[in-house]
Amino acid sequence: MPMHIGEKEFTNRVDKGLGDDFMRGAVRSAQGRLQSNRAGAAEELGDWDQWRDLGQEIRSHTMENLDFYLQQLSEKVAERGGHVYFAETADDANQYVSEVIAKKNAKKIAKSKSMVTEEIALNDILEENGCEVVETDLGEYILQIDDNDPPSHIVAPALHKNKEQIRDVFKEKLGYTNTEKPEELTLFAREQLRKEFLSADVGITGCNFAVAESGSFALVTNEGNARMVSTLPKTQITVMGMERIVPTWEELDVLVSLLTRAAVGQKLTSYVTALTGPKDEDEVDGPEEFHLVIVDNGRSKMLGSEFQEALHCIRCAACINVCPVYRHVGGHAYGSIYPGPIGAVITPLLGGYDDYKELPYASSLCGACTEVCPVKIPLHEQLITHRRNIVEEEKKSGLAERLVMQGFSRVTRSSKLFNVATKMAPFLVTPFVEDGSIVKGPGPIKPWTNIRDLPVPQKERFRDWFKTREKGGTGHGQG
Amino acid sequence: MVKGDIKNREAFLDKIADNLGRARKTSGVERPRWSNQVQWSVLKDHTEDQLVDVLEKQCDFIHTDLVRTNQSNLNQAIRDVIKGWNGKNVVTWDDPRFTTFGLTNQFKSWNEEDGITVNQWDASSGEESIRLAEKADVGITFSDITLAESGTVVLFSDQGKGRSVSLLPATYIAIVPKSTLVPRMSQATREIHQRVESGERISSCVNFITGPSNSADIEMNLVVGVHGPIKATYIVVEDR
Amino acid sequence: MKVSLFITCLGDVFYVNAGKATVELLERFGCEVDFPETQTCCGQPAYNSGYRENTKAAAKNMITSFAHSEYVVSPSGSCAYMFHEYESMFEDDPVWQEKAIKLKEKTYELTQFLTEVLKIEDTGSEFHAKATYHTSCHMTRLLGVKEAPFKLLSHVKGLEMVDLPNRHDCCGFGGTFSIKMPAISEQMVDEKVEHIEETEAEILIGADGGCLMNIEGRIKRNNKPVKVMHIAEILNSRGEV
Repeated sequence: MPMHIGEKEFTNRVDKGLGDDFMRGAVRSAQGRLQSNRAGAAEELGDWDQWRDLGQEIRSHTMENLDFYLQQLSEKVAERGGHVYFAETADDANQYVSEVIAKKNAKKIAKSKSMVTEEIALNDILEENGCEVVETDLGEYILQIDDNDPPSHIVAPALHKNKEQIRDVFKEKLGYTNTEKPEELTLFAREQLRKEFLSADVGITGCNFAVAESGSFALVTNEGNARMVSTLPKTQITVMGMERIVPTWEELDVLVSLLTRAAVGQKLTSYVTALTGPKDEDEVDGPEEFHLVIVDNGRSKMLGSEFQEALHCIRCAACINVCPVYRHVGGHAYGSIYPGPIGAVITPLLGGYDDYKELPYASSLCGACTEVCPVKIPLHEQLITHRRNIVEEEKKSGLAERLVMQGFSRVTRSSKLFNVATKMAPFLVTPFVEDGSIVKGPGPIKPWTNIRDLPVPQKERFRDWFKTREKGGTGHGQG
Repeated sequence: MVKGDIKNREAFLDKIADNLGRARKTSGVERPRWSNQVQWSVLKDHTEDQLVDVLEKQCDFIHTDLVRTNQSNLNQAIRDVIKGWNGKNVVTWDDPRFTTFGLTNQFKSWNEEDGITVNQWDASSGEESIRLAEKADVGITFSDITLAESGTVVLFSDQGKGRSVSLLPATYIAIVPKSTLVPRMSQATREIHQRVESGERISSCVNFITGPSNSADIEMNLVVGVHGPIKATYIVVEDR
Repeated sequence: MKVSLFITCLGDVFYVNAGKATVELLERFGCEVDFPETQTCCGQPAYNSGYRENTKAAAKNMITSFAHSEYVVSPSGSCAYMFHEYESMFEDDPVWQEKAIKLKEKTYELTQFLTEVLKIEDTGSEFHAKATYHTSCHMTRLLGVKEAPFKLLSHVKGLEMVDLPNRHDCCGFGGTFSIKMPAISEQMVDEKVEHIEETEAEILIGADGGCLMNIEGRIKRNNKPVKVMHIAEILNSRGEV
């Protein structure tokens, strides 16, 4: 499974994450900055909630009419001389891209950051075909140099690394001799990559938003690498997830405005580059040949399902940046290139419950993700929906849990049973009480008391007190 | 222009329609009237001068210098910026505005007095143009539309307006005629949308450029200057 | 004004003093408080774990228990919010859905009820201590009660309130999350306790039994010198502590 990263077992990945102090320090400080940047930008704009409403409305309309807009997009791209390939699967996409590259007899490929090409593992295929693939986003470049360490964040892929680790990677792999100062590391990467841009035969980009009305697509970046990739090589291939589309340039404005603020707290990134077809015949720079690959790879299953809203995602990572679970376990623990709350929603949909049934439970349902989502995806509710599917449709929850829940159901539906159970509770736990707390609980309480004390159920429950008091008993003052 | 190929489309889109539980839609979809138009209230009713003030403030956040000047001082203002960067090798767009703003006939004196060589983007020389841009240390373009809110210059590529000029040199100057200022991206994208609707051909590349390139990929520390320019200056010029 | 108390299972069994304080507080402001005895648990632990079918019976029992109530008030934001979930739970059952909507519309969390319905911000309370307040996720984000507790606490005589750093972060409870993902939950509650300690507060105040049980459990386990109290206990205090 190409989307899959790291060890197979979820618990092993979590343990590894929790034990990695470097990573946790880096993630913690990055989250702090990203959170305050986003909040500041939203506040400065003022009517943030109205913007979110508008974003949600646009995304919703677009998904409801996705076939129409993709058809319009493809017509417009073709009118401008670009080629469009609709890829149902990852293999289809990879094969098409390979064929284009083979036809060009291309050897060196420069890539700008693209999550969908990570999802379909395009680099592996191209390298198998004997091409040299260079990732040019600084974060992706660092990871590629470090023996293809997988990304841990969808906007800042190398978020889990600190600058000392990056310096060491550059030193070991590229003979870097300067310090760990980000300025020096970045300048070094600029020099290395400039040569690659100038000598690349093919440029491959992702796509933030395609614009249906004109067959354009926009790349939202800060570093300028996507501009390089779409300016210098003679052939350009753009790979987009099929949902990354807006009806017109006017909606592009709204979604880009939401994206840059939600992602990094910027009013706009340094570059929003909107490309339409190959270069004109009388122009010098820009690609002579342009291919657009539109990828399904499981997305269409979400349409018409209770998860359709997950396709509204504009990949800003705001949900990842506020998620406390992500903060502690890091991106790799999710076992998917899509981590955090949005990853926990879409990874099981794209990759299946067999491999990813734990992800929907990797959330305390605190709702921080839903609160910040710029297009109002009800992320925590979608996690509950996953859990329901796992329990009720897939029957994949454990036997012990099912028994507990059946018991719970019986007790909570009947006030008599509930009354008996809560009255018995103090006596049942007596053997486990020490100093007024339960410190070593049995069975299902054990994971709780391994970490925390549990209070002892009161012999006089609230309902007992209230009843006595109603009868004119001693119900006065504080108990 | 020869029309491009479209492959595998019908089955792909049929499946989408199927999953949406309806027949394929191949026509007749209209954008709804969105229930709010909040973007139009940003910097509403600002005068051109107020927009310049907003732009100037925003330039602080995007690590960009802003210089205000008029047409008669524009030549000197640009030269000062280039000299401040110790620039020797300049590439500019082939754009008639360089002549209407009285710059083209000054380039000779730049060379004679300050040793600054100016090359104009020349589509007829093909690859050589890109090579010259790569060798240049300063790139200069005009702004086609300028967004005050975000501090953005919008550049429409064409034969004379190469993409490389604002990208390859390590420093970049955008000449911003004051009349190009609008509040935000909404005005620019609406204009492009209207061009599309009227059947006009839009540029193969529209760049929204907001200051120099930067990255925060290393520990979220902002580093200014990655693959694109490392420094940028906007020169706002009174043009009416 | 007639008010029915929705005590919640944790309030009934563990946090009895918070329940008592809630009753006394409401009575002090002229409410006539009753306690529908057939109430059990709102069903949230099962619902949030994906057992929606198993939750329906509990939901029906709660809807019936409070059918005749004028107002329903709960000393827990999370449990009060659970009553809002019943509407979607019965999306295929219009009869129960209508009842669910009625229940939702008359249900309030305690501080929400005090400020929005009774229009009270100063409860005339007195409590001498340095304290900090934990904002519960469901109460603030889902129920939307953000300011009410702070307004009420700001009027308590003798109470010095200190801001809790990163107060919007979850404490790591999350219902069954705390048992299903104990290692992650532990890190989250530790981080919360660290921030509480940074404030040097003597008292941690909260408005949700679940969060309090989690934070208090960790504080006790690690012998930290912080006392945990429900906001009803503070607001019901007249300076005798």
